[in-house]
Amino acid sequence: MAHGFEGDRFFPPTIATDDPFAVDELSVPTVQVFRNPSAPSGMTTRETDLGGEFDKEILPGWDLEFSDAFTVLQPKGGTTTDGWQNFSLGTKYELLQSPGHEFILSLGADWDIGGTGGRSIGAASFSTFTPTLFFGKGFGDLPDPVPMLKPLAITGEVGESLPTEAADPNALQCGIAVEYSLIYLEQHVKDTGMSDPFRNMVPLVEIVMNSPENRGGGQTTGTVNPGVLWESRYFQLGAEAVIPINSHSGPNVGFLFNVNIFIDDIWPKIFGHPLIGGGEALPSTPTSGK
Amino acid sequence: MKKLLTAILCCVAGVSAAHAHAFLDHADPRVGSTLKAPPTEIKIWFTERLILPFSDIKLADATGQPITTTNKHLDPANSELLIVAVPPLKPGKYTVSWRVTAVDTHVTHGTFPFTVSP
Repeated sequence: MAHGFEGDRFFPPTIATDDPFAVDELSVPTVQVFRNPSAPSGMTTRETDLGGEFDKEILPGWDLEFSDAFTVLQPKGGTTTDGWQNFSLGTKYELLQSPGHEFILSLGADWDIGGTGGRSIGAASFSTFTPTLFFGKGFGDLPDPVPMLKPLAITGEVGESLPTEAADPNALQCGIAVEYSLIYLEQHVKDTGMSDPFRNMVPLVEIVMNSPENRGGGQTTGTVNPGVLWESRYFQLGAEAVIPINSHSGPNVGFLFNVNIFIDDIWPKIFGHPLIGGGEALPSTPTSGK
Repeated sequence: MKKLLTAILCCVAGVSAAHAHAFLDHADPRVGSTLKAPPTEIKIWFTERLILPFSDIKLADATGQPITTTNKHLDPANSELLIVAVPPLKPGKYTVSWRVTAVDTHVTHGTFPFTVSP
């Protein structure tokens, strides 16, 4: 399964934070535009990131993840530079699942491979490892007197970035996404008669924080990203505003745009099941209907 | 617009004919509805064509006790519409559980409630 399901809940792929599912995903492009006060030039810089990620489930519940981004830096009054960020190799394993409670817990790690990106845009010459704990929880198991809260769900991640050289500090990295799924509302709680495109939308707020812990790493930075995801048969479109939480996080509001292609629906024979040990997607026996 | 974007992405991906997961589009009784008269059938319209032998609709009462459904079939004119007959239902709350297999062989499932009023 390439879509992230837990019980009745479809957890859409979030943009600024990673979802807890070890599944096949193709996310391209992710476009982020914001003003960066801490660019290598030291000047306020407009940064544009064009990113992509491909995840492949290797064994049931375990995947490998490959990602990179092309960055364009435009310093105010300076010369534009561009280049690739360091290539990133990641992995994730689904530790615990409870479909009845729409809950999942996963453990992952990311290896930002030093020296694979461009020095001109500030890509580090050393690697950084980030072990991360991921979780997802839908609230479809809330009691019936509060049906309109059942479409709520949260996903999140807590990781520790560990650079292989002392040039960068260790840092606590946290992210959370609070979602209200209109899809869940219409399909599992109450058919309100909502029309397209709204019935296929998931309004959400993502919060991303980075807290340096040593080596004079400075203050916590982060953004609050309100936005919306829209699901169709073959892809998801997402857009978010990127609001800095303090002056160290940026002077202006940026934006984020993402396309996530459901490769399991486009190529069902290739994707949507583990490379090893997945078996056939079709059930082995028919259902017991009369 | 939706069809245009889908077509563009499918062309980019080199796909001419693909199928997707089957999700509930709408149902009769409607999801979360309260009915004055009990239904004789449960109909669910899905977003994709289904494989009948691997698709089913089940019904349970408020205590979770299963209620036997019969005559499972796809609408002859629309293989996205799955139908089962249900026996006479007393007033109360019911839960419909569906598990279906789309023609691309992906399996999806879900539940929704409805109520028969006294």
